[in-house]
This record gives sequence, structure tokens and C-alpha cells, in this order.
Amino acid sequence: MAKISSVFWRGPWPYWVGAIVLAVLNILVLIVRQQPWGVSSNLEAWSEWMGGKIGLISTRNISGLMLLQSSGTYLNLGVILGAFWSTLAASQARFRPIRHRKFVVSALAGGVLMGYGARIAYGCNIGGLLNGIASSSLTGWIFAAAVIIGAWIGSKLLVKYLL
Amino acid sequence: MSQRKLNIGFTLFMLLLFILVAQLSPKSALILGLGTGLGFVMQKSRFCFTSAVRDPLLVGMTHLTQALILLIALSIAGFTLIVWVGEARGISYSLNVFPLGVHTLVGGVLFGIGMVLAGGCASGVLMRIGEGFGMQMLALGGLLIGALLGKLTVAHWRFVFGEWPGIFLPDKLGWFGTLILEFGALFGLWMLARWWQRKQVGE
Repeated sequence: MAKISSVFWRGPWPYWVGAIVLAVLNILVLIVRQQPWGVSSNLEAWSEWMGGKIGLISTRNISGLMLLQSSGTYLNLGVILGAFWSTLAASQARFRPIRHRKFVVSALAGGVLMGYGARIAYGCNIGGLLNGIASSSLTGWIFAAAVIIGAWIGSKLLVKYLL
Repeated sequence: MSQRKLNIGFTLFMLLLFILVAQLSPKSALILGLGTGLGFVMQKSRFCFTSAVRDPLLVGMTHLTQALILLIALSIAGFTLIVWVGEARGISYSLNVFPLGVHTLVGGVLFGIGMVLAGGCASGVLMRIGEGFGMQMLALGGLLIGALLGKLTVAHWRFVFGEWPGIFLPDKLGWFGTLILEFGALFGLWMLARWWQRKQVGE
């Protein structure tokens, strides 16, 4: 019992255990929210709101109050807090600085590409790939194929410039 | 073991946050609880969508890929069941059946490149921020900028290349045909992942 408890808090859990628990939570989100788990569309709403606040674009349809009432905000906030809680429970919480200047560039460039791609494809790995496929949508499968091609190109870049 | 005390403090903070949000909206509190669970489990099981897609290509390991296939299969089964039960009870769910266009492919490829460079996809970036990684805090900034650029240009993609309405597979193939096709495809991918790892690293 003590051993199970220790593995529970310290981890790591086997991948297949993670997959099963994540599937249960993913299905519960659909039941409660009547809409699947997603990450990027809420981040897009936040970026629009911020862009509007600093005057880059005109936002008519997004207000701060709407974001605070949006279920996507609570999901995303939950993921950050849950991951922090998990590291804290294992006494592994600390700030992990960027090790090299080239990772500053790759984090920013990667982030921009990802944000742009998710916006024009209407989804990220969660809303577009996992839950696109789980929704039995043809688009989900096609998006998955495109992401695999992109990851292959990305891996080539990673080996060439970053490792 | 000062982090043990911090953990007790943070647990109390989470409890208070949960109660506060529940006062505003019980549904939001439930969603916050589920989101926290998702982040917790992703961190504990080192579940990362980016490595699931990248590692077979980079190092030939497919354990996480196989777990991702399991997650997708269980989610298909769960979603299908929920939609069936919902139909019988008159509850409708808005599923992720998105329109399809050239920008689906272009967006997917850019997203795939970006997640490998940034060391995490959207959910992975959030999880790593929780873990304290500076790199992904920066990546989130990039993600927000990219999303804004996407908002400004997505209409052009639609205008130039057109867009087709999303296809909900059960409408075309029936539920039975859809499930056979989807589980068949996933089983094929799972076999491929196992074969790939044996070929690449020999275990």
C-alpha cells in the first residue's frame, strides 16, 4: 500500500495507465461541457482579447468577462495548476531556466508556427487530433496525417540546428 | 522537505479556488477540477502528444505512440457511447467535426513543425509551464502571437482555396461501418508502431 501511494505521488506512472485515466477524464469533460476538451481555441480567444487591449485588432465579440466564464479557460488553467501540483507533490517543483540561447529562438518560432497552424486548421493535438478523431470526423484523421508530416520535418530541423 | 509544506499550502489554495469558482458557477468548478486532473495525470505519466508523434521519427521508440493510440481508441468508444445515450435522452453534444480545406493540411504541418521546435504542443506547453520550464513559458507567448496572426489571415485561406463542410463519418458509413473503420485503422497503426520499434531499436 505504501509502495502504491509512493508511486502515485512521485510517479512516473506507466504510459498505458496515463492513457486510460486521460481517456476517462476526456470523456467526463464531454459529458459536463457537452463539447470535447480543447486547448487552442481558448488560447486563441485570449490572444484576440489581448490583441484588442493593446490595439492591434478590433475585437467586438470578446470581453474579459466572457473569458472568465468560458469553460476553456478553466480547462487550461486546470492543466497548468494540475501539472504544478503534480510536481510539487513529488517535491520536484522548481523553475527550469532555458539552457541555451538557441532554445529561446526555437521556443518562440515553434510557438508562433503552432499558434498559427492551430488557428487556420481549427484545432491543436487535443481538439483537432485526439477529439477530432474521437468525434468520428474525417477532418481529425487528415489533420493527424498533416501533424505527423510536420513533426517529421520538425525532427529534421531539430537534429540539424538544435541537438 | 520544505516542498511538503508548500504542497499542503497549495492543496489548501486549490480547495479554496475550487470553492470560490463553485460559488460563481458549479459547472466551471467541475471543469476546473477535470482540467486539474488532466494536467496532474499528464505530468505523472509523462504523457506528451509531441513525443508520441516525434519520438518514433527521432529515436525509434513507440511506447508513448502506442499509449496515444489506446487513448484515441478509448475516447472513440466513450464519445460514441455518450452520443448514443444522449440521443436517447434528447441531449445533444457539439462534437469537433470541423470544416476541411487546404488550410487544414497547411495548418497541421505548421503545427507539427512548431510543436517539435517548441518542445510541446498546446497542452504540453501548458503542462510544462506547470512544471516550471522557462522555454515553454516563452513558447506560450509565441503561441498567442501566432494565433493572432492566424486570426488575421484565416479568411484569406478560405477565400483563395475554398473550404468543404466537415464530414461526420457515421453520416456516410453508419455507426457500425465507422467503428469498424476507425478501430481497424488504429489497430493497423498500433501494429505498425510495434513493428517500427522492433526494426529501429530491436526490442
